[in-house]
Amino acid sequence: MFNPSMVPTPDPNPLPAPFWVFKLLLVVTFALHILAMNFMLGGALLALLARWRQKGSQFGTRIFSDVAKKVPVMMAATISLGIAPLLFVQVLYGQFFYTSSILVAWPWFLVLVLVVCAYYGFYFVSYQGERRPKAVGRVMLFSTTLVLIIGFIYTNNLTLSQVPAHWAQKYFSSTSGWDLNLSEPTLVPRYLHFMTAAVAVGGLYLVLIAWTKWKQDREYARAIFQLGGKAFLYATMAQVVIGFWFLFSLPKTLRMVFMGTDPLATALLCFGLVAALTTIFMMSAALKKDNIRLAALGVTSITALIVFSMSVMRELLRMAYLKPYYNPQQFAVQTQWSPFLIFLGLFVAGGVFWFVMLKRYGLFSRTKPVQP
Amino acid sequence: MNYPVWDVAFGAGLLMALVAGLHVFISHFAVGGGLFLVLTERKARRNNDSQLLAWLKFHTRFFVLLTVVFGAVSGVGIWFTIGLISPTATSNLIHIYVWGWAIEWVFFFLEITAALLYLYGWDKLEPKVHEWFGWVYFITAFASMVVINGIITFMLTPGQWIATHQFWTGFFNPTYAPSLLFRFCISLALAGIYSLITASVQRDAALKARIVRWGALWTVPSLLLLPVFAWWYIRDIPPVLWASTRGAMPTGTHFALLACLLLGGTFLLALISLLRPTRLHLAFSLVLAVVAFGAMDSFEFVRESVRKPFIITNYLYANSLYFAAMPGDGGFTVDNLSSTGVLQTAKWVQNRNLTPANQVAAGREIFRVECESCHTTNSYRGVHQYIVKRQWDQDKLHAMLGVLFMMHNNVMPQFAGTDAELNALSAYLGSLQPMHPPPDLHPDGRAVFEQNCSMCHLARPDDHLFTDMPKDPQAAVAALASLPAMFPIMPDLKLSEDERRALVQWVNTQRPTQAAKGGN
Repeated sequence: MFNPSMVPTPDPNPLPAPFWVFKLLLVVTFALHILAMNFMLGGALLALLARWRQKGSQFGTRIFSDVAKKVPVMMAATISLGIAPLLFVQVLYGQFFYTSSILVAWPWFLVLVLVVCAYYGFYFVSYQGERRPKAVGRVMLFSTTLVLIIGFIYTNNLTLSQVPAHWAQKYFSSTSGWDLNLSEPTLVPRYLHFMTAAVAVGGLYLVLIAWTKWKQDREYARAIFQLGGKAFLYATMAQVVIGFWFLFSLPKTLRMVFMGTDPLATALLCFGLVAALTTIFMMSAALKKDNIRLAALGVTSITALIVFSMSVMRELLRMAYLKPYYNPQQFAVQTQWSPFLIFLGLFVAGGVFWFVMLKRYGLFSRTKPVQP
Repeated sequence: MNYPVWDVAFGAGLLMALVAGLHVFISHFAVGGGLFLVLTERKARRNNDSQLLAWLKFHTRFFVLLTVVFGAVSGVGIWFTIGLISPTATSNLIHIYVWGWAIEWVFFFLEITAALLYLYGWDKLEPKVHEWFGWVYFITAFASMVVINGIITFMLTPGQWIATHQFWTGFFNPTYAPSLLFRFCISLALAGIYSLITASVQRDAALKARIVRWGALWTVPSLLLLPVFAWWYIRDIPPVLWASTRGAMPTGTHFALLACLLLGGTFLLALISLLRPTRLHLAFSLVLAVVAFGAMDSFEFVRESVRKPFIITNYLYANSLYFAAMPGDGGFTVDNLSSTGVLQTAKWVQNRNLTPANQVAAGREIFRVECESCHTTNSYRGVHQYIVKRQWDQDKLHAMLGVLFMMHNNVMPQFAGTDAELNALSAYLGSLQPMHPPPDLHPDGRAVFEQNCSMCHLARPDDHLFTDMPKDPQAAVAALASLPAMFPIMPDLKLSEDERRALVQWVNTQRPTQAAKGGN
């Protein structure tokens, strides 16, 4: 039998800001991280798809190389934006997160090795695309597979962090950290839920890329739009099924959180479902009518809202899982005002400055930057 | 013991050293190298040196591929790894410094963006705008160092934070300034050292020579300045901690020596590169980089060694026990464990109660929760090898475990647990390789010292063993019969009369003679 007292005690230091501040930061930065991850992974998967589906055709290879060139940058964004939620999850849920990480320590540690290999692979593709057209396909597949494995390890660790009742048996059968959370009933649907979302949002990424080329190179842009738009369409349709699978794989009490017990969670689920169906119709219409603005602006904004609401739902689900072991009131709060305000100031100023950098780089200007 | 302990057969500490060691060597390059990029670009443009500019573009790609990929991932890697190995320390550092980490994250995000735009901007941007990105990169990279340095130095010298628990008191702690200057110096030196790697593969000999000389301008003065900041740094480390590098603790002493030797080696090699700059070979530049890597990592080892037995000095022991009791400590203090017992307090053990049958199994669990943060049984800092080397049987193990905290300049925490738990731990350690040394009729005094005394005493005339032991051999042999009677915290080792006699004889040969003293 699991003894709840095995859940580690958080350290004695008070939270340096109110609980909700960290919660908000966690939800927002996680959504940003997951968007970047979706662009990276979805982009890589669709680049591969373009290459194989249209083998020999001019556009297939061109889409592959155009998208592949952007993947390393998205990888950098994924990692950089991933640091913040990794920090805030440790602030709020360290006692759960460290413990589950230790139970799956080796796979968790191997994430680092896999990330480095995948990352260098993506760079290889981005730099060697023209010189070694044959090798890059294989390297791209290799790196993308590694990213898929990394996602799977993440799902294992984070699902395990929510079920302390499974810890003792796992740890005492082996303390070497060679374990995963494969017996978890929500593991596969949850993982697929994330990966399918990556394909859908990756599709939108292609739509956005197509939009930037819409005026100059219509035919090519249309090919990207069709690929990205369809990927979004089919992935989102599949997501409706996978989403329900995920929902029904949850233990009943947790499922009911989204089906009546918790009004916010229920409302968010309904919103997610309606919004997803809306985007399916919108994208389908956009593709038929060749209306890229509808896809690039309409579908993208609704999807961004869905991603943020999913990030909130993920939090609500975690709280529901941890209810027997976790109480936000257990933390003392002693706000460290000056470093907190410095962070807030830098966070806002940094965000503005980030756009200034992109602007100076010429990312938003229609004319090409000056050639030296 | 609050958290489960990950059993890494070859040693969790080694894994940590691997990840952190690689990271620091690249992350410091990421700071100095940033300034190097932008100043080299300016120099090349002012001199209209298109060759140097072309090399710099190549060097930028090398720089970004190394720092943005490996540097960034290994930095996150340190977090992953300490979370697995020292979750309690990580949790504390996160809660104490979350705003520090968050501020650092903003700089890091800008730094990565600037690095990528600088790289991709080589063919796209006007020179001035391109240089601007170089400056943004360097300033944000340096700002990350400014922040992280506060947290790393806090771990070694938290200063008044222990009393106040104020963010800034711990952040701007006694070694903050010297450490920042010291590390910045290292990062400038590394900028020069790394530049030789890409310079060495240039075909144009004249260009190669220009880069080598320019690189040396970064490396040589920085390495000359380094000892000054090192002196300042050491001055602000409490002397009792620093003593670990002066013979009292083998690891600290060896790495301090190694750091000095390799630093000297780096300096010499950097000078040698100037002898024939046109013929600099890739192999030479890599050897130089490896030697510099050794020097830098030896320094990090020293820093970690002198901090022992703490992970946060005077606050948290390396094995995750708090130094002093405080509200919310979960009972994880030496005092509490000694009264309530480790098996009763630890969350992640199976043997809650000791029986004659479970001594070894329970001892194994005590070893896991109390010792494995630093030790393994058979590998890195393996206790098995210590036991065999010193021929400790179970009784001696028991006696020695009672005085852990006195060994090697107090680099280990006190054993925390009840007497019965101490017995169980000795039973487990004794079971690794049972020792039954036959009585030695002609023991060697030096060997007796090594096996029984060298953990706490140094073979130096000014050590207490040499100054306090009665000069008269008969009296000394008698006194050694009961160590606790001589000094209450000494372990009750029960040396045989032959051993005592041999020890006293050897000690007396090591003492300075009266004549020598008079000569001084």
